[in-house]
Amino acid sequence: MEELLQIKDLHVNAENKEILKGINLKINKGEIHVIMGPNGSGKTTTANAILNNPMYKKTNGSIIFNGEDITNSKTDEIARKGIFMSFQSPEEIPGISVTNFLKYAKNKITGEPVRIFEFREEVKKYMDELCMNSNNMERSLNVGFSEEKKKKNEILQMLVLNPKLAILDETDSGLDVDAIRTVSKGIQMYKNENNAVLIITHNTKILSSLKPDYVHILVNGKIVKTGTGELAKEIEDNGYAKYK
Amino acid sequence: MEILKLNETPKRTSRNFNINNIKLENVEIPNNIGKFENLALIYEKKNIIVSEDVEISKLTYGLGEVLEDKVLKNSNVTKKLKINGKIKEDIILEFKLDKNNTNLIENIEIIAEENSQARIIIKYESEEEILGFHNGIIRVNAKDNSIIEIILVNLINKKINNFISIENTLSANSKVDYKIVDFGGKNSITNYYSNILGENASNTINTIYLGTDNQVIDINYIVELRGKKSNVDIKAEGALKDIAKKHFKGTIDFKKGCKKATGNETENCMLLSDTAKSIALPMLLCSEEEVEGNHSSSAGKVGEKELFYIMSRGFSQKEAMKLMVRAKFNNLLEKIYNEKIKEQILTKIDDAFNTNF
Amino acid sequence: MPKTNVNEINRNIYDIKNKDNYDFKIKKGLTEDIIKEISNQKEDPEWMREFRLKALEIYNKLELPTWGPDISELNMDEIATYVKPKTKLNSNWEDVPEDIKNTFDKLGIPEAEKKSLAGVGAQYDSEVVYHSMKEELIKQGVIYTDMETAVKKYPELVKEHFMKCVPIYDHKFVALHGAVWSGGSFVYVPKGVKVDIPLQSYFRLNSPESGQFEHTLIIVDEGASLHFIEGCSAPKYNKVNLHAGCVELYVKDNAYLRYSTIENWSKNMLNLNTKKAIVGKNAQVDWVTGSFGSKISMLYPMSILNGENAKTEYTGISFAGKGQDLDTGFKVIHNAKNTSSVVNSKSISKNGGKCTYRSLVRINENAKNSKSTVSCESLMLDDISISDTIPTNDIRTDEVEFSHEAKIGKISDKTIFYLMSRGISEEDAKAMIVRGFAYPISKELPIEYAVEMNNLINLELEGSIG
Repeated sequence: MEELLQIKDLHVNAENKEILKGINLKINKGEIHVIMGPNGSGKTTTANAILNNPMYKKTNGSIIFNGEDITNSKTDEIARKGIFMSFQSPEEIPGISVTNFLKYAKNKITGEPVRIFEFREEVKKYMDELCMNSNNMERSLNVGFSEEKKKKNEILQMLVLNPKLAILDETDSGLDVDAIRTVSKGIQMYKNENNAVLIITHNTKILSSLKPDYVHILVNGKIVKTGTGELAKEIEDNGYAKYK
Repeated sequence: MEILKLNETPKRTSRNFNINNIKLENVEIPNNIGKFENLALIYEKKNIIVSEDVEISKLTYGLGEVLEDKVLKNSNVTKKLKINGKIKEDIILEFKLDKNNTNLIENIEIIAEENSQARIIIKYESEEEILGFHNGIIRVNAKDNSIIEIILVNLINKKINNFISIENTLSANSKVDYKIVDFGGKNSITNYYSNILGENASNTINTIYLGTDNQVIDINYIVELRGKKSNVDIKAEGALKDIAKKHFKGTIDFKKGCKKATGNETENCMLLSDTAKSIALPMLLCSEEEVEGNHSSSAGKVGEKELFYIMSRGFSQKEAMKLMVRAKFNNLLEKIYNEKIKEQILTKIDDAFNTNF
Repeated sequence: MPKTNVNEINRNIYDIKNKDNYDFKIKKGLTEDIIKEISNQKEDPEWMREFRLKALEIYNKLELPTWGPDISELNMDEIATYVKPKTKLNSNWEDVPEDIKNTFDKLGIPEAEKKSLAGVGAQYDSEVVYHSMKEELIKQGVIYTDMETAVKKYPELVKEHFMKCVPIYDHKFVALHGAVWSGGSFVYVPKGVKVDIPLQSYFRLNSPESGQFEHTLIIVDEGASLHFIEGCSAPKYNKVNLHAGCVELYVKDNAYLRYSTIENWSKNMLNLNTKKAIVGKNAQVDWVTGSFGSKISMLYPMSILNGENAKTEYTGISFAGKGQDLDTGFKVIHNAKNTSSVVNSKSISKNGGKCTYRSLVRINENAKNSKSTVSCESLMLDDISISDTIPTNDIRTDEVEFSHEAKIGKISDKTIFYLMSRGISEEDAKAMIVRGFAYPISKELPIEYAVEMNNLINLELEGSIG
């Protein structure tokens, strides 16, 4: 199996406080990984650290993606190398329409001009699959979108930008059962043997339709246990108490 | 009689807008002010030192030279309160103008030492029919980590001019919270300046004003933020009836260096007659990038739907209006824990709706 | 975040200077003799000559404003108020002299005329050098010509309206304008005529140490409608140039006028312009304004809502860079029942530039049941710039709905991170956010102008962020 991402002994501070205290993680192509953990355990920090959000400071460790050290690469470079992150709370950007934004990002990531007609058709197709109203294509990005719409829009971006690794940070939070099903469908459409998914969540609802290869339990900045899908079930039944 | 030009804003705008200052005619500034002895001062003696040697340096803004000089050189009450430690009991200063004490010119200085905490109630009232004059300065110096709450209540009669200048200096982590009830005075003119110097220092101002008959209310709040992560919050709610007039000038000035500071200002004026006038100038001045500033101001009459709803429950229009005004003022009133003073304020609201409506 | 400060950005096409090749340039300064000389040069009718002299008298009496930007560097003794280009008014583009034609070609004026305009006027220094309008509009009785021609050809119409909406005693620079005005456009749209495609006048000041004082007078008669676009630019010189134009708009009952401006004066320009509209019953005037250029601007378009149900909307953006002090905003007077105003103002300050939003909303006693909504947003792109909001809200009656909101802040780091996580570079992300911020204004402009505005934003952002 081909290795896609490797995180080695990663320590990360946020607001001068150590949040991640030595994370190790390896993701191969074709795999679905899940990081679970209670609130404040460092899940979102992990996602942000991979994308090198300047608000999170790495104090030790490294991140290798596709054989390349991306520990200190700029966020946009990391994105262009093929890592995508679905945000827990996507930003609202007035004045930039959903399609224009996608077109622009697609062009930046592929480095190729986007053929407008085909592109619009593709976006429309994905929108239909995600039960999104294509009238929203011309609306300002995320402005006034409901939580569900914002999350679906993140999945839409993932499908259109087609990254090598998709990190989904709490994409399931705040969604009802139907919406979670739609989001899962989106993930299944995206997933193939050449890419990988890292799902960050604190509940197990989204895992019912996706079969994770690995489940990692993150508590207090460290991965305390790694297992298979069974582990998620155990957490569902018993919570994190025994790992604290 | 000469025209008094008072309460200049920190930045001028077009003269035609009539808001850069307020011009008052026929203001009689007494030469011979006499004594003022009707002050009740209640405080916990253990941690508070009271003296008369108040600050007499010039104010940064103030109402204008004539009135300021009068206080600095010629006051009839001077009180300096030095506060140490956390004071549990309210400190109360009650000034009551009566026929033997018609003129009040006070100079008050409050020094909150490091880590101190206190609540201070300053109340001005007067006998109903007397003529008189009020002109005062209140200075607050809040040192590191101090917490000061000031409840300022103006209930003097509508024949007396009410002038007041406030100046606050806030050091690191200090909190200065003002609750201002501005109901009294023929002309009630307030100048308020806060210099927020310290990191994390925070200043809140909650004001309610009520203008009736031909009262003129002129409010000029100026807050300069210099400390990192400092904060100011200004909320003013008011109601105007009859031919009352109000100028609300509120300036939040983000000075260079106040990174991550935040400032909010809202002003809302309820117009209860078609002859009342409301002018607002909510200024936001900014010379720093990493800040967040918001202001909003609104004006309009009492919501007809709400009014109808209340009246459908058997209230007369007058009562319904009174209820709406009380509801509007309630946010602030419920935070005035002194029941006696709260009762007095509520009575004033009732009075305003019982006369010539 | 690292920043590179570039002293002078390349304003490319706007900065092309032509030789100061005039037919006549009045000597600098402002005296009665100079005014008489201008009047002679322009072959004014007697009433206009008297009007100019009266205005000069008022100018000398009035004080400089005691508020706003410092304009003390303006020395009228150093300004030539009248520069006559070496050509007469042409109605055929080919007849315009080569150097002037090239300038307007590069600014895309004849191109725009072909594509999206119903008529074009082009002023070079003090005189209009080109004017034309589509045949069918002429047939419908629409008048679109330079102001001088209007004074001679339509004296009654001009006399009735000229400086009645903006009286010469309004402020010092209006009086100055009254004394030395030259050029500008006159538009009359007859009752019921709807002009679907915009008319545009473009003002170019080429001559150094001079002033431009064009007068625009537009009358949209009852039930008629018009979109008028005004563009301005000038190359940069070391000494101060002055622009003190005047725009008077009469929007009669049931009429509609949209007045759009893209102002890109050079950064040595003092732009002290006055614009006012009188709006009749059920009529509406909309202002769309983009202010990018000039060293100092003091510009507050004003709507006077005199008729019942009159409406006005103001949509404005200003962008101040190094050395610029743009003091702009909007004034509205509600003077009749059921009137409404909507204000949307945005500003961007960077590289030490200063933006001020200054405004007045006055709802008078007789304006029962009126509404006004004001929203201002300011963006700070660094910590050496300044952004001030100074709105006056003067409400004189109770049956109103008035609300005002203002916000000030920087581009959020979170938003930048979000865009960067989609493969967009930091500079592009910022430019994208700024363009999005300006979008509510650019969307109000015809597409060519929206593109031009976006180009101006990119031009302004180049080298200043990253």
